[in-house]
Amino acid sequence: MRHLISILLQNEAGALARVAGLFASRGYNIESLTVAATPDVEASRLTLVIFGDDGLVDQIIKQSRKLVDVIEIAELTRRDHLERELLVVRTDGAPERVDACVQQFGARVLERHGTSVLVEFTGQPDEVDRCLDALMRAAELCEHARSGIAAIERAVLTMA
Amino acid sequence: MNAQLDSIGDISRPSSHPLAGKAMTGADIVVQVLADEGLDVLFGYSGGAILPVYDAVFRHNEANLRDDGSEPLPLIVPANEQGACFMAAGYARASGQVGVALLTSGPGATNAVTPVRDSMADSIPLVVICGQVPTAAIGTDAFQEAPISTIMGACAKHVFLVTDASALEATLRTAFHIARSGRQGPVVVDIPKDVQNTPLTFRGNRELPMRGYRARLRAVQDATISEDHCAAFFAALGRAKRPLIYAGGGIISSGASASLQKFSRTFGIPVTTTLMGIGGFDTTDPLALHMLGMHGTAYANYAMDDCDFVFALGARFDDRVVGVPAAFAPRAKTIAQIDIDPAEIGKVKPVHWHHVGHLDAALQRLVKYGQRHGFSPREDGRYDAWHAHVAALKKDHALNYQRDSALIQPYAVIEAINRITDGRAIITTGVGQHQMWSAQYFDFREPRRWLTSGSMGTMGFGLPAAIGAQFARRDLTVIDIDGDASIRMNIGEMETVTTYNLPVKIVVLNNAGDGMVRQWQKLFFKGRFSASDKSLHKKDFVRAAQADGFAWAQRLDDPTRVNSTIADFLAFDGPAFLEVVIDPDAGVYPMVGPGATYAQMITGDWIASRTGPVAETAGPTGMF
Repeated sequence: MRHLISILLQNEAGALARVAGLFASRGYNIESLTVAATPDVEASRLTLVIFGDDGLVDQIIKQSRKLVDVIEIAELTRRDHLERELLVVRTDGAPERVDACVQQFGARVLERHGTSVLVEFTGQPDEVDRCLDALMRAAELCEHARSGIAAIERAVLTMA
Repeated sequence: MNAQLDSIGDISRPSSHPLAGKAMTGADIVVQVLADEGLDVLFGYSGGAILPVYDAVFRHNEANLRDDGSEPLPLIVPANEQGACFMAAGYARASGQVGVALLTSGPGATNAVTPVRDSMADSIPLVVICGQVPTAAIGTDAFQEAPISTIMGACAKHVFLVTDASALEATLRTAFHIARSGRQGPVVVDIPKDVQNTPLTFRGNRELPMRGYRARLRAVQDATISEDHCAAFFAALGRAKRPLIYAGGGIISSGASASLQKFSRTFGIPVTTTLMGIGGFDTTDPLALHMLGMHGTAYANYAMDDCDFVFALGARFDDRVVGVPAAFAPRAKTIAQIDIDPAEIGKVKPVHWHHVGHLDAALQRLVKYGQRHGFSPREDGRYDAWHAHVAALKKDHALNYQRDSALIQPYAVIEAINRITDGRAIITTGVGQHQMWSAQYFDFREPRRWLTSGSMGTMGFGLPAAIGAQFARRDLTVIDIDGDASIRMNIGEMETVTTYNLPVKIVVLNNAGDGMVRQWQKLFFKGRFSASDKSLHKKDFVRAAQADGFAWAQRLDDPTRVNSTIADFLAFDGPAFLEVVIDPDAGVYPMVGPGATYAQMITGDWIASRTGPVAETAGPTGMF
């Protein structure tokens, strides 16, 4: 089962290595990991995606919560949340077919050099997969990079 | 980043420290914080990257000599850094205070990996301070450089690499706080040499914010058991007919043994302890069942099989205790658990009632609630049949061995020592058969008298731990019960004993090999003794001890002289070494084999089993 874990981490030397090490030493493959600054200069936000048995993941979350640098840890998979991911792709050849894909997915063209097109797409991870597939079918893929997942819990809206 | 922490640390209350505002180097600050923490001994081995701190220790001691001429912070020098850290761990285990080791960078620090991991696994509070190459040289493969924050990060409770000198003082204080708070453990502080040499101003009161850690700690400290939760506990206990307390090392580290005794005696509930919990409950108490598990007493294991209510206190259902989780305590209708670590609740076996918090406070709360609500099984006799059953188990399945052997039996040696020390000495051990015999045959009337490497099982622990324990408790007899293989691991520390003229008593139970390994090879590998036999080894232990300056060093190989030799050995006023040549075939029984259930326990030839004989040769096993 897929688990999306969000961690607020103190900016301390080695803090990221300790979190990643905890997962690695138990044999978990980290599917995706993003780390970025937060408005709080002392803390960074980590978003991790792993696959594993529910009970084992519960235990690893409890163990992670014991790390001194961890400020907060939550599993978002079990809460109502939004996931977004950024894709950048450089294609070569068939620029009109690439443009059709861009149109279809609502992606953006960042640069053009001859028949090479640099495309940016943001969406849910499965949309990113589909967009990448479509671009691969449309043209030759030279290079691509994915940002990993940024996730956020959906606000609970109450009527006033 | 550290500058931010610095400013936050700075807004705390104004310092009332008499040295606040004084100009000091980083190294001086290290020593001042150690003095402020109330330490009276340090263990360590010098080297290039820690020299400024060693110099500061020297100057501090010179300037603050006590009236009797002794140093306030004596620095005890081992044979190697593993020894230093096990001494600090022995000091911590015996005293309950944080033990400190001061080491140099690179090999000095990597030699500390084993004791740091050992202390983490047994929840022992240590602060290990390592020198590191200068900040500018980090990551360049400089001389004696090792990536300590990465290496230790996987082994310690926490690691600090101090790259900003202005955060040094707050970091050191915080290291002590983390080591001794919550579930205790080792903290490593890696200090580059230039940080040690930086001119700074001493503040005397700062700590790092550590807000996630402190918030979780506060939640645990503030946790009390609600009226409803108490009621649920006593409802389940009231339904039980055969309740049993299963107490672990948490009893010792939380200082809860008096509360445990009160709980057990008030409600008449028998107690079995884990290896780490030994001494948390007086083993001579009528309700004591001694240790349970793989090499626990047969009566403790049978009681665990028979009980219908398990109350786990600071115990983590380790594989050496539980064996097969699904078959552990098979008749228990309720398992209740108290632990300071939320990650331990239900980790191995689901529990029906739990509380996360301090054991001592929790037990006191439950005793008061039970008394207030008229829970009085002593008076209404609801556990009388269970008490009679437990007493019968203790009588019928008592520990025993061949008492008329022509060879010295290790159990008899321990019994002879125990008759003199009466459960009041500090006993340290290596790892293997001698460790299990000591756990089984010694009495322990108080906590912090039994020091052993429980979870990690580190051979070589006994001798340096005994040295550290003797520094913590000058008033007690400290005995290292060791094996011929275990003592070889840190045999360099024999000289440390005599250098500091410590009255440590060392017993080597020599069975010419790795006895526990041999026992497993006999049981599970058809007697192929691969690399476990040391009968061709040439070491003369007595002459080795004499060479290290032991004035009392003897070999005992005559069974008729056991009592008199041991009396003479223990009476010697100073370091003493006794090698005992024991029956090489002596085994550790009972034994619950790896991956086996308590019902399949082997009790050996001399302890009565209540089931039929079980085949002694099991098939190869995937369990360890």
